[in-house]
Amino acid sequence: MNSAIEMTDVAWRAGGSFEVKDLSLRVPTGSIYGFLGPNGSGKTTTIRMSMGMLKPDRGTIRVLGRDVPRDMPKVLARVGYVPERPHVYPALTVREQVRFHASFFRLWDAGWADELSERLGLDPERRISRMSKGETGKLLMLLALSQRPDLLVLDEPTDGLDPVVRRDVLTALLDYVSETNATVFISSHLVHELERICDWVGVMDDGRLVVELPMQAFKNGIKRIKVADAPAVPEEPPFTILSRERLNGAGSETWIVRGWQDPMRHYFDGAGIGLRDVVDLDLEEGFVELLRSSRPTPPYRS
Amino acid sequence: MFDDIDPRSPTPLYEQIAARVRMSVAAGDLGPGDALPSVRALARDLRVNPATVVQAYRDLAADGFVELRHGQGTFVQEVPTFVREEERAAQATKLVRTLLQDAARLGISVEELARALNVETGVEIRE
Repeated sequence: MNSAIEMTDVAWRAGGSFEVKDLSLRVPTGSIYGFLGPNGSGKTTTIRMSMGMLKPDRGTIRVLGRDVPRDMPKVLARVGYVPERPHVYPALTVREQVRFHASFFRLWDAGWADELSERLGLDPERRISRMSKGETGKLLMLLALSQRPDLLVLDEPTDGLDPVVRRDVLTALLDYVSETNATVFISSHLVHELERICDWVGVMDDGRLVVELPMQAFKNGIKRIKVADAPAVPEEPPFTILSRERLNGAGSETWIVRGWQDPMRHYFDGAGIGLRDVVDLDLEEGFVELLRSSRPTPPYRS
Repeated sequence: MFDDIDPRSPTPLYEQIAARVRMSVAAGDLGPGDALPSVRALARDLRVNPATVVQAYRDLAADGFVELRHGQGTFVQEVPTFVREEERAAQATKLVRTLLQDAARLGISVEELARALNVETGVEIRE
């Protein structure tokens, strides 16, 4: 089994205008897969389908080698899920919630739950209704990790948490991954956070998966390049031009390109275009440029 | 040793980690038999994917800088003087390349850079 999550030609429609179209996604086993996309792009919908909470209209979904939603109970026993909205009971205390949650999982590690609780500074007697967002975030991660899952599915697990709590929660996650090689499927708006920990990236926009690549390939493949003497229509470049912007001076332009590799510098000599500079982009810049160009816009922006 | 690891850099994190270790060995800050942090501890400290640390340590082992002793950890190897010198030279080249690239972007000539270097270091540098 090389994929922890495999979705093939999945489609889903809410009835309104929003739909997920032709979604094929693959989370390699043992990877930490960062799932990016703007609000409303379909990340949470996709995650909920992978957890059997929404049934796709078309396509197949396999999680940990099993059919979803058909084999969902067996899948859920091995998946730690932190949903977008907390699934805990406000009237319970931390201790009660942990005990309640534990009763569903055969592999529950009570010793580790206690250790995590202490490390994350959670008070077992505290009532959930009185907890801050940060404390709730810690509790959700504790619940997901203590069931000793093979796969963690985390929908914005650090959303709205302060930097100190975020660090505690991520450290707990990385400790678990170090020990078990579990797969992690994580969505977040905090792109720099994902840039540190992820080795795969998938980007959603408007219900489609725009790109899915190893982190390094994604980052190194998108560049901002400065060219001189740019023709209106460049002759079959070996890369994809995502956007072009005119600079001052005749034929001077900035291009954002995708699929870049360094030997492609030679293309410019043959094409009679001057290559002035190749600038690296970090994950956030690459992500923003990719989204800007994945939407129908004219090739030039002003 | 790992203070300036930069996840936003185009250089992969495992390469950055391996480079820091090689440089520490070259500088003599790490000697034969010294233990590197465990994968778990370093992943946790740097908040990076454990697989990234594993990759860095594997590359270092392939280059002969460290030895992976199963179940015990990762230990610095005896590295010949000429390899350490090569490593320092490689790092120096890399720094200069970065400097030249940045200068080119700002339109600063090599002569201007050389003059600034002379002033800053107080050493007359010429070929």
